[in-house]
Amino acid sequence: MRQFLAIGTSVPRQEASEKVTGIAKYTNDINTTGLLHVKMVTSSCAHGTIVSIDTSKARKAPGVRAVLTGRDFPILTGSPLADRPPIAIDKVRYHGEPVAVVVADQEYQAMNAAKLVDVAYHPLPVVNSPTEAIRSQAPLVHENLASYKRFEAVYPVPGTNIANHVKIRKGDMQKGWAESDVAIEASFSIPQSDHAAMETRCATAEIKPNGRVEIYSASQSPYVIRDMLSLFFSIDPSQIVVHTPLVGGAFGGKAPVQLEFIAYLASKAVGGRKVKLVNSREEDFITSPVHIGLDAKVKLGATKQGKIVAAEITYLFDGGAYSDRAAIITRAAAQDCTGPYRIDNVHCDSFCMYTNHPYATSFRGFGHPELTFVIERAMDILAARLNLDPLTLRRQIAIGPGDTTPTQTVLTTSNVGNLAQCIDKLKEIIRWNDEPQVVVEGHKVRTKGVSCFWKNSSTPTDAGAGAVLLLNRDGSARLVCGAVEIGQGTKTVLSQIVAERMKMNVDQIYVEMEVNTDTCPEHWKTVASRSTLLVGRAALAAADDAIRQLRHIASVVLGCSADHLEIGFGRVYQKDNPQIGVQISEIAHGYRLPNGNTIGSQVIGRGSYTMRDLTSLDPETGKGNPGPEWGVGAQAVEVEFDTKDLTYRVVRASAVIDAGKVMNPKAARGQMTGGMSMGLSFASREAFLYNKAGIIQNPRFRTYKDHRYGDHPEYLVDFVETPHLEAPYGLRGIGEHGVIGMPAALANSLSLATGIAMNRLPLTPEAIWREKKENTGDSFRF
Amino acid sequence: MIPFDFEYYKATSIPEAIYLFQNLFLQGRNPLYYGGGTEIITLARTNRIYTEAVIDIKGIPECNVFAHHDHKLLVGSAVTLTRVSEERLFPLLSRTCSEAADQTARNKITVGGNICGRIIFREAVLSFLLADSDILIAGPSGINKKPIHEIFKQRMRLQRGEFVVQVHTDTDYTKLPFIAVKKRRIGSVGYPVVTIAAMKKEQLVRVAFSGVCAFPFRSHQIETILNDRLTPLETRIERAVRHLPAPLLSNTDASAEYRAFVLKNTLLDVLTALEEV
Repeated sequence: MRQFLAIGTSVPRQEASEKVTGIAKYTNDINTTGLLHVKMVTSSCAHGTIVSIDTSKARKAPGVRAVLTGRDFPILTGSPLADRPPIAIDKVRYHGEPVAVVVADQEYQAMNAAKLVDVAYHPLPVVNSPTEAIRSQAPLVHENLASYKRFEAVYPVPGTNIANHVKIRKGDMQKGWAESDVAIEASFSIPQSDHAAMETRCATAEIKPNGRVEIYSASQSPYVIRDMLSLFFSIDPSQIVVHTPLVGGAFGGKAPVQLEFIAYLASKAVGGRKVKLVNSREEDFITSPVHIGLDAKVKLGATKQGKIVAAEITYLFDGGAYSDRAAIITRAAAQDCTGPYRIDNVHCDSFCMYTNHPYATSFRGFGHPELTFVIERAMDILAARLNLDPLTLRRQIAIGPGDTTPTQTVLTTSNVGNLAQCIDKLKEIIRWNDEPQVVVEGHKVRTKGVSCFWKNSSTPTDAGAGAVLLLNRDGSARLVCGAVEIGQGTKTVLSQIVAERMKMNVDQIYVEMEVNTDTCPEHWKTVASRSTLLVGRAALAAADDAIRQLRHIASVVLGCSADHLEIGFGRVYQKDNPQIGVQISEIAHGYRLPNGNTIGSQVIGRGSYTMRDLTSLDPETGKGNPGPEWGVGAQAVEVEFDTKDLTYRVVRASAVIDAGKVMNPKAARGQMTGGMSMGLSFASREAFLYNKAGIIQNPRFRTYKDHRYGDHPEYLVDFVETPHLEAPYGLRGIGEHGVIGMPAALANSLSLATGIAMNRLPLTPEAIWREKKENTGDSFRF
Repeated sequence: MIPFDFEYYKATSIPEAIYLFQNLFLQGRNPLYYGGGTEIITLARTNRIYTEAVIDIKGIPECNVFAHHDHKLLVGSAVTLTRVSEERLFPLLSRTCSEAADQTARNKITVGGNICGRIIFREAVLSFLLADSDILIAGPSGINKKPIHEIFKQRMRLQRGEFVVQVHTDTDYTKLPFIAVKKRRIGSVGYPVVTIAAMKKEQLVRVAFSGVCAFPFRSHQIETILNDRLTPLETRIERAVRHLPAPLLSNTDASAEYRAFVLKNTLLDVLTALEEV
């Protein structure tokens, strides 16, 4: 018998046909009778006091039911730090911030009335970068930082723009510097950009006459929406239900709670009627939270042989006007700051800075693409200084079992993937040893740049998930769980996990697509590449529970002990004599006796799982165990650079990732290439452009560049499999991983091609031109 | 969503379109002629344009002509950029039109709409500037043919109620050696940092630009400088760039300084290629 029936096969996604035919329903497809529409009035000023808001004309406009301002419901929301009013109160802190909200019968009426709200601002000096924000004379974005409520470990510094300060103190820096033969130092910068999901964010809210609150939202975190509404508006959580249908791309941007608060307030203002709030593309770009920016400094000390003995790293994250998840990203970057390398002496200060930019939240990779850009550029600079092959240097200090992480967690063969194996395989697929790293042909230069990475999550110590498996009469089954389908294909992988355990045909396992927080067992949230671990373990437990019940019923029917029974291929049968058995369809709802009575009843498997052995990080040293496992990978980017006009083309992008177990090869490849495309896109071209007043110049796709269909290089993707023993079938999360090493690999490739350290994103030809001009004074042919 | 109501009229003849416009204008409806609609939709949804009536000219037969006739190439104003790109009746025009916007938009954008639009790049006009084309304009005073250099100065100078019916180009021009280069910030879709369209006629190079300044242009002064073949090419280019009709554009696609770099290098490539022809 084959070991794997469903695992390791390219099962098509359960929702594929709905999506490709266009009938799949998303949150904004909800249009019920009597639905009212909400439109936001957003700030045209990046930092200023609100002198006045005149809503009188808007209130008189046709169809208008209510106009709200922040003063109407003066509360502060946000987690870990409650620093954000859902609608600005007295002051605006970023361009695009909601300042008023209009509720009207029709969407166009709300849009027209929103134009009539007259807001006067008194502009304040703008904090336009995290580096500006940390200066002692910088204007304060938040004057009352000390008074904000805290819900998780977070260390703001009142009187400054520091929303969180995370420290890593490992080993002895003095000793490290003393042992160093060489030291390198460099600065890096990544601008804020956007997730640019195809579906813009959308939420509906309704407050029923009995007080029950019903929310629909395009969200990665339906249970968090419920809990946050309960927390900030003092509603019994059992009175709140959140529905999440299919989500049209999220990439971390739909993990925070924002529009839901505004929709709830809007519904409240119109007597609880159902309202819908959908972002325009422009609002989705800047009003809702964005991809975090970063200014960073790194200093590495190493021996001549290439052993890194000291690492000193400072991160200034551009968290924007409100801290939200940026405060946790600040911690995530610190905890893995060294990259996947053995370094005994580490000193890292990671700051989440307030600026007058849109506020930042999780983005695919959660701080890891950013930390990887910094450390992997530094690794290439070090390799060049030591005159070592960049992959040889990386391989000889690749972290592994027995080593400790920056947070001093001891690694095992299970909690970290095999980086050396990834590097070896990458070398093969990119012909590293067969071709030179730099090839010059006329005015074209071809170069290969590499990057390794690791990724752990910043998971709450009690993060968990549940699953229920309901057997149908015909022996098929339905899995109900709280994971959101955001395009990542988790639900299909879950069907494979259950099918494998029950030795069933995978198309007999249907996974409910919509999440309903009332009826689906709770799942932390669909983030951090952890759904296949958390929900996967819960689903396995549910399958085991169902198997136990089936064997029990079958044992009565067959008149033998349950211990003698095995399940598989639609039957329960005797281990030593498979001829003797009963069809699952005959017992799934109890075995029917000739007189109509049944033995047993419907089989309903239940299972749940909670993270084990995680600890919070020590505030002074960062010591602790932040997440369940470190996934690793090695990536490469080959570019063709034109020395005449300074343009370039990405020829090939490659990745070898330790997947633990490749559950669904085509889906895994899709996840990797999608991530790689996203990484290349934000590294090469994505950036919000601010003027001196902090106003965003490009909040639309005409001027905000991202990867388009014709921009793709050739993708090479391969996997190694080092099982994570805690996870179903040994799998490791891979949802974010493709993106992580791409910016660094691209920058390393271009640095080689141009002969100039490309340490600032995005890597546009204009950026290359500017660096060349600044570094060489070379105005080129002209 | 477009937050205001407007009426849609589809004219099937030139007089009908003119009549509709005048009538709607007198009713204070602020009518607009409607080609592909991409710009009207874009500007309307962000409240930068307001109208209560649009008059679609795509049903007017004259506006859909795309053919050689009597030693002229006639391009109807309602012909889409996709059609111009695919039916290569004027290869230079096909080339520049195929680089504007993206495929989905080009399926809608019309030649007339691109030339008359508010978006400052209007790359379809470059070929016509080079070919000294004539523009056939319909308006309350009838149908008039005007040289493009008279009617297009930075933008189309149309009177109220007028619209472009056709562009007429001598067939000879459609057969001349040419080169067209579009340089973007990055990637294969987007506004130009620099677009240069050039052709060679009787040993002289003609050059038209988009993206360089805040409007497309062709400059006889620049052409005179560039055709002075006794002077080294790089010197000619340096001189030409000092004689731009307006300051270099600086926007989210490129700073003015970087634009100068791209402009000079692209000119060098274009002229080198054309001088060898």
